Amino acid sequence: MSSLGNLIRNENMKIYRRPRTWLMVGFLILALGLMSGLMKWDESRGSGGDWQTNLTQQNVHFQKQLQDNKNLDTDDRKFFSDRIKINEYYLENGIDPTKLSLWDFVNNSAMLIMLITILTVIVAADMIAAEFTWGTIKLLLVGPASRTKILLGKYVSTMGFALLLLAISFAAAFGAGAVLQGIDGLSLPHLTVGADGIVHEGSMIVDSLQKYGYAVISLFMYVTFAFMISAAFRSSSMAIAFSLLFMLIGNVLTGIFSSYAWVKYLLFANVDLTQYLPGHMPVRPEMTLGFSIMMLAIYYAVFQLISWFLFTRRDVAA
Amino acid sequence: MKDAVLQLRNVTKTIGRRTIVSDLSFDIPAGEVFGFLGPNGAGKTTTIRMIVGLISMTKGEVLVKGVSVRKQFEQAMTHIGAIVENPEMYKFLTGYQNLVHYARRHSGVTKQRINDVVKLLGLQNRIHEKVKRYSLGMRQRLGVAQAILHKPSVLILDEPTNGLDPAGIRELRDYLRKLTKEEGIAVVVSSHLLSEMELMCDRVAIIQGGKLIDVRSLQEAKNSKQTKIIVEVDDSQSAYQLLSEAFNGQGVSLSGGMIEVMGDRSFIPDMTRLLVKAGLEVYGIHASQRSLEDQFLEMTGGEMVV
Repeated sequence: MSSLGNLIRNENMKIYRRPRTWLMVGFLILALGLMSGLMKWDESRGSGGDWQTNLTQQNVHFQKQLQDNKNLDTDDRKFFSDRIKINEYYLENGIDPTKLSLWDFVNNSAMLIMLITILTVIVAADMIAAEFTWGTIKLLLVGPASRTKILLGKYVSTMGFALLLLAISFAAAFGAGAVLQGIDGLSLPHLTVGADGIVHEGSMIVDSLQKYGYAVISLFMYVTFAFMISAAFRSSSMAIAFSLLFMLIGNVLTGIFSSYAWVKYLLFANVDLTQYLPGHMPVRPEMTLGFSIMMLAIYYAVFQLISWFLFTRRDVAA
Repeated sequence: MKDAVLQLRNVTKTIGRRTIVSDLSFDIPAGEVFGFLGPNGAGKTTTIRMIVGLISMTKGEVLVKGVSVRKQFEQAMTHIGAIVENPEMYKFLTGYQNLVHYARRHSGVTKQRINDVVKLLGLQNRIHEKVKRYSLGMRQRLGVAQAILHKPSVLILDEPTNGLDPAGIRELRDYLRKLTKEEGIAVVVSSHLLSEMELMCDRVAIIQGGKLIDVRSLQEAKNSKQTKIIVEVDDSQSAYQLLSEAFNGQGVSLSGGMIEVMGDRSFIPDMTRLLVKAGLEVYGIHASQRSLEDQFLEMTGGEMVV
């Protein structure tokens, strides 16, 4: 009987022995390099003026807002007063926040998780469908491994591939930041204002990992979705098309229909959990973090169940 | 029957209201090459795919060395090696990597075993090349290698000769013979090429419309006393009369200027003397064995679509 570990090794071999996979990795690194270069170029154009006077001016502007604008709710007030406190902290400690640091590169690379999602969706879409197009599915299934085990092996190695891309992206952004800005920014603090109204110094790496964490949720959902379509229709093109379509039009759809209450049950409305961070608005006012997590869990379970059911039950006749 | 390694018990497949395979039961002992014969759509492929679990059974049971494919799939599969149609391999991998892929699924296939199998099939010179550069015959051999890596007790071949040239078919046939003799493997093979089956199989099951019509031994058929003797002479009319009298009109017929006599080969010398004495010019007398195809057509009522 086959061990799950060996099945995963087999799937990994089939992913990483394909030249296509390394093309994807190269593409990701290229995109990261390009983005880092653009950031550096953008900074060098210079905003002009002294950063200290800029910050002081910004604070004066925020103060005026707080005093004159009567339309501000408590959230906005907190936002402005926190900004003022953080700016003052920068001024006192002589930290120039507009100067690019290594962490800016890492934080911005979180935006590329969209690209990582697309690349992983392509791999996930092929995972089952390609075995059918290659005709190798028959020999794959005629072996001492249950279909459930084979499916699990495939899913695990797809997620392993996503993890690899994430690690590469994080490391490459870190590397680009270190090369372009030096590693002296490494010890820069991440500033937040706590509930007590005092500025706290946090760890930048924790902040970056958090940004990655939020973005990874949508990666998880869309890749699992692509995997399901691949198992259901046995067609990679369909899996890629549907996943990317939903990824791209999801936000637009939620935007258009956000006035309707049922929107909150859509996957797209729940996939971005940053909407519950302070200073952000959820798609629907009645939505809570708990609700979104529950919805995501339900969608995830349904996707997995459908893949499993269709993969293990259907006859392989063709 | 001596220890059967593969047993089918009332295997049935229905899709909707249509019964594709109905109530198939037979046993296959170790060391036998067993063939499935039947017109297209008779249910050969469906049956074979039910044995290996690609298609689910509606009813019945398949036992491999006594282990149920339905209930203990993983365990039953450790005894089975299969080539389903043309063995499709991962083209972007080398032949060796493909074998490693299949070997990993079984416990206890060592590197040594992989190398032995590669040598057995004469693939050693090009095993580290990508499969996309292999010829069809080489892929077929790689397919056989994959199927026997784990020393299975039953080898299942579904249309293995599809797309092979005569040399390739012959090669495959020789390997199968070798395997059954040396390793005592039972082989189940389905093909629509009757002449191939005749050369390959010890026994054949004839299936039509999803039902088992007959299981017969080809060895028996070859030793059968009843052969067709074909006589070619200048004056077939008088020869026909002469032979009819000699055989009391039994089993003698005239068709297209040839006389056909059903009987034992030992009749031939007497028949020759008789014809020569009567002054007829004899061009040829030979015994023709009834081919599997004749038998098959007879049995399935000529509804064969090959």
